[in-house]
Amino acid sequence: MSTTNGLIGKSVKRVEDNRFITGKGNYTDDIILPGQTYAAFVRTPYAHAKIGSIDTAAALAMPGVVAIYTGADVAAINGVPCGWQVNFKNGDTMKEPKHPLLAVGKVRYTGEAVAIVIAGTREQACDAAEAVQVEYEELPVVVNAAEAVKPGAPQVHDEAPNNMCYDWELGNPKAEVDQAMATAAHVTMLEFVNQRMIPNAIEPRSYNASYDAANGRYTLYTSTQNPHLIRLLMSAFVLGIPEHKVRVVGPDVGGGFGSKIFHYTEEALLTWASHKINRPVKWTADRRESFLTDAHGRDHITKAEMGFDKEGKAVALRVKTFANLGAYLSTFSTCVPTYLHGTLLQGLYTTPKINVDVTAVFTNTTPVDAYRGAGRPEATYLLERLMDLAAHEMGIDPAALRFKNFIPPFDGVNQPGYQTQVALQYDSGNYEGVLKKGLEMLGYEDFRKRQKEAAQNGKLLGVGFSTYIEACGIAPSAVVGALGARAGLYEVGQVRVQPTGKVSVFTGTHSHGQGHETTFAQVVADKLGIAFEDVEVIHGDSDSVAFGMGTCGSRSIAVGGSAIMKSVEKIIEKGKKIAAHKLEANAEDLEFAGGRFTVKGTNKSVSFADVALTAYVPHVYPKDLEPGLDFSSFYDPANFTYPFGCHIAVVEVDKETGTLALRRFIAVDDVGNVINPMIVEGQIHGGVVQGVGQALFEGAEYDENGQLTNGTYMDYCMPRADNLPMIETAGQVTPCPHNPLGVKGAGEAGTIGSTPAVVNAVIDALWSGGHIVKDLRMPITSEKVWRAMQTA
Amino acid sequence: MSSFLLSYYTIPTTPKSLLIQPLLYADHNFSCMQLSGKQVLPAAPPKIWALLMDPDTLVRLVPGITNLEKVGDNRFKSVFDIKLGPVRGSFTGNLQLEDITENKGYLLKLQQNSKIGNASAVVKIGLVPVGDSQTELDFDGDVKLSGLLASMGQRVIGGVANTLTKQFFHNLEKELEKPVSA
Repeated sequence: MSTTNGLIGKSVKRVEDNRFITGKGNYTDDIILPGQTYAAFVRTPYAHAKIGSIDTAAALAMPGVVAIYTGADVAAINGVPCGWQVNFKNGDTMKEPKHPLLAVGKVRYTGEAVAIVIAGTREQACDAAEAVQVEYEELPVVVNAAEAVKPGAPQVHDEAPNNMCYDWELGNPKAEVDQAMATAAHVTMLEFVNQRMIPNAIEPRSYNASYDAANGRYTLYTSTQNPHLIRLLMSAFVLGIPEHKVRVVGPDVGGGFGSKIFHYTEEALLTWASHKINRPVKWTADRRESFLTDAHGRDHITKAEMGFDKEGKAVALRVKTFANLGAYLSTFSTCVPTYLHGTLLQGLYTTPKINVDVTAVFTNTTPVDAYRGAGRPEATYLLERLMDLAAHEMGIDPAALRFKNFIPPFDGVNQPGYQTQVALQYDSGNYEGVLKKGLEMLGYEDFRKRQKEAAQNGKLLGVGFSTYIEACGIAPSAVVGALGARAGLYEVGQVRVQPTGKVSVFTGTHSHGQGHETTFAQVVADKLGIAFEDVEVIHGDSDSVAFGMGTCGSRSIAVGGSAIMKSVEKIIEKGKKIAAHKLEANAEDLEFAGGRFTVKGTNKSVSFADVALTAYVPHVYPKDLEPGLDFSSFYDPANFTYPFGCHIAVVEVDKETGTLALRRFIAVDDVGNVINPMIVEGQIHGGVVQGVGQALFEGAEYDENGQLTNGTYMDYCMPRADNLPMIETAGQVTPCPHNPLGVKGAGEAGTIGSTPAVVNAVIDALWSGGHIVKDLRMPITSEKVWRAMQTA
Repeated sequence: MSSFLLSYYTIPTTPKSLLIQPLLYADHNFSCMQLSGKQVLPAAPPKIWALLMDPDTLVRLVPGITNLEKVGDNRFKSVFDIKLGPVRGSFTGNLQLEDITENKGYLLKLQQNSKIGNASAVVKIGLVPVGDSQTELDFDGDVKLSGLLASMGQRVIGGVANTLTKQFFHNLEKELEKPVSA
C-alpha cells in the first residue's frame, strides 16, 4: 500500500456535524411527500388477551380518515422474519411463531399493534385511533423468563411448549466442567439479573412509505441502521414484492444503539398500506410507543460459578442463563444470548473448562434484541463480577487475580491466535498491558491507602475493575452461516473517482452518530493522497449504494472500511496502468505516493487528478483498458475482531445515607489502529455513559400483569452529565492482523466494559466498610446501598 | 433445571457471603395495587347498608363517580372522572355487585375503560356491628391498571387511592350526620 498523507490517526472534526448543529439534518420525519397521509396505531393496553370484536365504524366516519386496517386485513401476509436460527440441544429447530404485522386473535405484549389508522393529518389519525373500539378478554400473563418455563405458566404461543424458543449449550461437555468444578479449591457463585434495558434513541422510530403506481416502485424512508437488510427482509420474506422495485433509504438517523437494526412490523405494514391506498403513509413513534415497542435489550437471569485452584487460577466456569426474548422473535434476538454471549465467556482468561447453558424464553413483554454490545455486555458482566467477587472472597487483590489468569500477549502474526473453549479464535491481544496502564492512571497503591482513610471519615471508597473482550467486526459469513445466521455479513465499499479527481465513496454501512462520513473520508483521502475535502461518503440509500449489511456489532470500519480499502487498491492499480501509459513506462515501475504516480527512481510523475481525468477522457489511453475509475468491492472478513480493554470505576458511598457517587472512570481501550482518535474517544464516552446507565440508573420494570410501569422519562432514569465524572480515556494499540487497516472497532466497547466496573466498585466500597455483600440488583440506587448497609 | 429454579429463589448461606436481596425479578413488587382498610362509622349496619345499595347516594359519596345507571339486578353502567398524577381521564364501564348478604356486605366488581388505559377492581366490602349504634366498614381488594394509566399512574396511584378513600369516608360520615328526611 502507498504511503499516507497523515490523515489516518488525526482528530479531524466531524463533517456531518455542520448540518446537525445547524438544524439541517434530514430525518425521516422531516420528509413530507406529495399526498402525504399519516398513520396512528391502536395498541393493546393488555399484555395478553384474546381480541374480541374490533369496531372501526365510528373511527372511519371521523374527519380525514383514509383507511383503517386490522389483523384480519393482513392475516394472509407473512410476519417479520427472524434472521438467525438456533437449534435446540436435541437438534430440533427453534420455535419461531409468526410475528404478525397486526395482532390476529390474540395480543401478546402491552403495546402490540391491533389496528392502523391512516388519515390526512397526524392529529386526525390519533383522534380516530382513540375511537376504535376493541374488546379484549384478558389472559394470564408471564413476564419473568425463569417463571415462564415452569409447568403451569401461562403460554405465550401454543406452538412453543413451556414458552421455550430453544435451549442451547456451548463449550466443554458439562460433565468435564462439573468434574473440574468439583476439584476447585474455591468456587465463587453469583445469581443475578442483567436487567432489561430500553434503548431510548433520541430520534423515535419513523417510517414514510410510498408507492409509485406508474412505475410499480416502492420507496421506504426509515430510521434504520441497515437499509439494504430491511429491503431484503421486507421484499423477500414479508411482502413478496420485487426487491429491485423497492428503494429503502435510511436518511439521517438519530441514534440506534441496536434498536434500529431490526425489521419492524410497522415498516412492512406502512409499505403495504401505501400501495393499498396509493398515497404515502408516514408514522413516527411518540415517546411512549418508543418505550413500549422499540426492541428492548439484555434481560438475562443467570447463575454463574467459577472455580479456582489454591493459587487462584481459574479451573472451571459453569453458566446457566434464562434469556427473555419477549413475545415475538425480533430480527437478531436469537443470536444475542447465544453466539454473541456464550462465545465470549472465555473472557481474557485461560479458564480451561467452560460450559454455558442458555434457555431462551417467550414472555408477555416487548421483544428483546441487540442493544449496544448485544450479548457481550452480558458475558462481560458475568465474568468480571465473578472475578472481582472471587478476589474478595479469596482475599486476593482483584487486579492480581486478573494478572494471574490473563492469556499471555500474542500478536496473531508471530504468535498464533488464541483458541478459546467457546468456539472463537482471538486475533491478537495484550491484556496485561491495558490493566497495567489502568492501574497507573488510577494510582492503585495510593488508592488502597486512601480507601482505608476514607472509611475512618464517614465515606466508603470502592474501586471496581473490568477487563473485557468483545467480538466485533461482524462477521465472517461462513462462520456465522455455520452457526445459524440466515445472512452473510460481508460489506460493500465503492470508490468512484470523478473526472476531476474528486471522490465519492459509497458504503453499505450506515452512520447514525458514528461519524462515518468523516472517518471513511479520512481513510480514502489518506490512501489516495488527496485532500480530505475532496472525498464525500454516501450511505443509506439502496438506490445509490450497491448493497450492504449496515451498521451493527462495531463492524463499520473493520468490515465496511476494509471493503472500501479493497476498492482503493483497485483504483491505485488501474491508476498505475493509466499513468504508465501517460509516462511511457511500465506499470510495475510506478509507485503511488502523496497523490502522485511516479516512475521509481525518476522525477517523472503524474498527479492523481490527471489520471482521473484521463480515465474519463480516454483519448490517449492503454488499448486493453476500460475507461473510468470506479470500483466496487465486497469484503468478507477472515475472522471477528477482538477489541479489549480495562475499565476502572471509583465510587464513594456515604456511610450514613448510602448516597452513591461515581467519582472516577478510567477507560483504557485497545481497539486496534485508530483512524480518528476524537471520534473513538467520543464513542467510548457514549458507551461508558450507557454502561453506567445500566449499573446505576436504567432498567425496564414490568408488573405481574405485563404493564411497563416506568415507560416515561419521569420513571425511567436516563444518565445525565451531572451523574458522571470526567471520563479518563487512554488507548493501547494492538493491530488486528487480518484486515487491511488493522482496526478492531470501537462502537460498543464503552458499554461492554463499564457496567461491571461500576457494580464491582460499589461492592468493593461495601466490603471496605465491613458489609459483606455479593450482589446488588442493577440499577444500584443509593437506597439499595443504604439497605445493604443496614442488613449486611 | 428445577434444582436451579429452587436454588434461584433460595438465599445461599455460604459463611463468607450474604445475599442481601431475595432474588425476585423486580425490585419493586408493583403488581396489583392493594386496596384495604377499615373505618368505624356512627350508625348501625342497616342504615349504612341502605346508603351503599343506593346508586344515587353512591354517586354523591364516591369521589370520581359522575354517573351510575342501573342496567340489571345489581348491575350498573358507570362513569368515572379521575385524575391520577399527570394522567386525567374519563372512564366508562360497568359496576357489579355479587355475593350480596343484606346488612353484612358484598363483592364489588368494577371494570372501567378509557382512552388512557383501563382499570379493573375487585373489592370485598363488609359491615360488622360495633355495639348498637356503630358499624365497622371493612374493605379489601385490588386494582389492576393497564395502558398509559399503568405506565404513568402506577407510581402515584397508592396516594391517590388513599385520598379518594378518605374522601369517601368523609362524605359518608357527613351523609350520616344529615337529619333523616321524611
